[in-house]
Amino acid sequence: MAYSLTTWGEFKNYQSTCYRNYLYASEGLRCMGSTWSVLAPLKGLGEDVHIIGGEPHAASTAGTFPEESREDISAAEGAGLGFHSCSYLKLFVGEVVRDKIGITDGTIKEGYPKPDLIWTTHLCSQHSKWYQEVSRRLGGIPMYAIDMIGGGNAEKDPKIVNYVCDQIEEGIRWLERVTGREYSDELFIKAARNEIKCLVLWGNICALNRHAPAPLDERRLIALFPPAMVDRTTDRTVRIYEALFEEVKYMVETGQSVAPDQRYRIVYFGIAHTYGHPEMARILRDAGAEIVASVYTFGTAGNFRGIVNGKWSWDPLDPAWVDELDLSTRRNAISALAKIVLGWPTWQGVRSYWALEQMARAMITEYKADGLLLAPSRSCETDFRNGYVGMQRIFKSEIPTIEYDSDQADVRKMDLPGAQRKTELFVHLMEAHKRRSA
Amino acid sequence: MMKKGSDTIIERFRHVTDNTHEYAKSLQEKGHLLAGYMCTHVPEEILYAAGMIPVRILSSHVSQATTRSYMHETYCSFSHDCAYQGLQHNYDYLDLIVTSSSCIHMGEAFNVWVRFAGFQQKSFLIPYPHIIQTKPAGGFMVESFGEFKQFIEKFAKKSITDDDLERAIKVYNHNRRLLKRLWEFLRRDHPPITGPDVATVTLASQVMDKQECNKLLKRLIQRLEAEPGKAPSGVRLMVTGGACDDLRIFDLIEHLNYSSNLIFIDSCTATRYFWFEVPEDRPDKLKALAEGYLGRIPCPAKDNVPGTGEKKRFRFIQQFIEDFKPDGVVFLYQRFCSPQPMDVVALKPIVDKLGIPSTELELDTTIPITQFRTQLEALVEIIKRVAP
Repeated sequence: MAYSLTTWGEFKNYQSTCYRNYLYASEGLRCMGSTWSVLAPLKGLGEDVHIIGGEPHAASTAGTFPEESREDISAAEGAGLGFHSCSYLKLFVGEVVRDKIGITDGTIKEGYPKPDLIWTTHLCSQHSKWYQEVSRRLGGIPMYAIDMIGGGNAEKDPKIVNYVCDQIEEGIRWLERVTGREYSDELFIKAARNEIKCLVLWGNICALNRHAPAPLDERRLIALFPPAMVDRTTDRTVRIYEALFEEVKYMVETGQSVAPDQRYRIVYFGIAHTYGHPEMARILRDAGAEIVASVYTFGTAGNFRGIVNGKWSWDPLDPAWVDELDLSTRRNAISALAKIVLGWPTWQGVRSYWALEQMARAMITEYKADGLLLAPSRSCETDFRNGYVGMQRIFKSEIPTIEYDSDQADVRKMDLPGAQRKTELFVHLMEAHKRRSA
Repeated sequence: MMKKGSDTIIERFRHVTDNTHEYAKSLQEKGHLLAGYMCTHVPEEILYAAGMIPVRILSSHVSQATTRSYMHETYCSFSHDCAYQGLQHNYDYLDLIVTSSSCIHMGEAFNVWVRFAGFQQKSFLIPYPHIIQTKPAGGFMVESFGEFKQFIEKFAKKSITDDDLERAIKVYNHNRRLLKRLWEFLRRDHPPITGPDVATVTLASQVMDKQECNKLLKRLIQRLEAEPGKAPSGVRLMVTGGACDDLRIFDLIEHLNYSSNLIFIDSCTATRYFWFEVPEDRPDKLKALAEGYLGRIPCPAKDNVPGTGEKKRFRFIQQFIEDFKPDGVVFLYQRFCSPQPMDVVALKPIVDKLGIPSTELELDTTIPITQFRTQLEALVEIIKRVAP
């Protein structure tokens, strides 16, 4: 019987609370930006900082309001954004254009709540341009983007770590100037430890999926991963992830899963196609095939050992290590944060085909995969589109592999009938492979 | 009709753009090591200081499907075409391939060469800031350029001295100044050279030995200064956008059913390639290089002023509009390009405010000449207020 997560309600409640606070706060600071950013520096500004992140907000809007999200994307295109631009970006900008916003609890608020500032990152060619456009449309919101010059092993390169640290340090001075607030290192350091702890805990939760049956499926993973939480810097988020970690450990001990029928274990590289296309998930589920590991949900904001002695490892980091981190100064805390964020697998793979291949190889082995599902998104540059095309060439002779023609939020760009047939074929391939190996 | 002196020199440049491989191989026969580069953020001076000739990888505009199984369909045609050059082994004679981390599309074209076209052991990726206006970007670049210099020294088996670097900086700066002078002819009402010819020379300079290029450029400028302007002058059109090495589009602009002139191109295959200088005679050469490259007209993929989110390139464009006085602007970018169209959304209102009509052309591997002609003629009709 499928296991029902007891911590689920707490997650959803926290997520909705974060969004509601951003929408309706009568005082405090509204901050916007990519959740692919280090968030803790914002918290040095006070305890009344409300955050809205770009990607998870767009993703959850696509899931919660499919019709609205189509209207948003159309509105953004009508306002001049290209058909080929990132669909998360367009959905987000579309809300600004339409002057309304929808959140996960089903609320649609008329009148877009203007942020006080934008704090974000830049890596792909669209990432910070997204918020430049939002800033422009909202009349010039102050904006600070951090260049996350990631790529395979970046967190172990002192040149890159220092570069990112220097930008964050400069960014904190900017935050002080632009808000006129006195900055609290104490609050920042507390938030930094919480942020790192959540990311490490998440790595540990994911690693439990190595067991058979894997306790969590992709649908739960995408709903529970740190960006979906909106704000991962609070004591409450740490408590929630600790509770989830305990619950998932219990599931492993008792052999339970949210999706127990797992004849085929799939490793997935791609943004969650299931938001726009639950049909795919249904075909897999009916055949007893589950995505048990995914670079996007594991590694967009989650930490693992990464490259160790020249080889990728999905082993998690010890949560106790976070408690021992020396975060006694601002620079120490910034440095620890920069290393943890640069260590996210998704950063590593964006510009490093070799890291991406190593990640896939390690994930297939460590998670005992029967198949590799690649879903490059037509509109996401950082979704390793090319990496996936290259990976298909490399892996198809080693393991059943398919590649969808997909998009993370724009249903117009999905080849649905083709993907359905590919999914069926994929299941047959995995079965044939299993029999041959038996 | 007798050809003018300048025409003969322009033909020599055109011969280079038409026969880049033949030209590059001739340099190799003279004993030079050749380094192909895919993005203009590569500090060519470091290669040149080691005695290598940097050669820009250009596309062939051949309709092909080979790269579709190596790169995603939704990457720009320029990146596909450049990747195709590697897979077709058209550049196998290169000794090295280099790029700097720039837009994702060109980065992946580079990856195709490294992974699938036999360049794994002879390649180098220079980490380069994705936002060039951050305060720490300079320091990062100095370190990054230092690592590149070390790699090149090992590769070319030659140590690069400060004098070598200074000489290279001066040769390149000289080239930039000459190219700038050439483009400035187009500010005139009756320039002695056409925009497409200037674009051709500029593209040729990106594959040429800079000293040879400088000699030719100097002679060309001297002759042009002595020549009368070409009449009649038509509607002045400025192009702004992304990489475009298909010179046919620029010829088209000058061969519409109306009289029109190409007077400026803001792109990395034209003015953004050279419209900057590296400070000379500085004690720290790598720092000087970093300062110079950070002062470039920003590529839209790297343009985001911290604190305001301003796009600094727009300031340059407004200055170019003031200096070159276009009657119309053509936004020209590669289909599937991400950063360029994102800029057009914000740039178009600025151009509108200046009262300058504009149009957008989306490039692909091959050019739909008839469609583009219609669009460009419609733009000219708007400018000239031609009644339908």
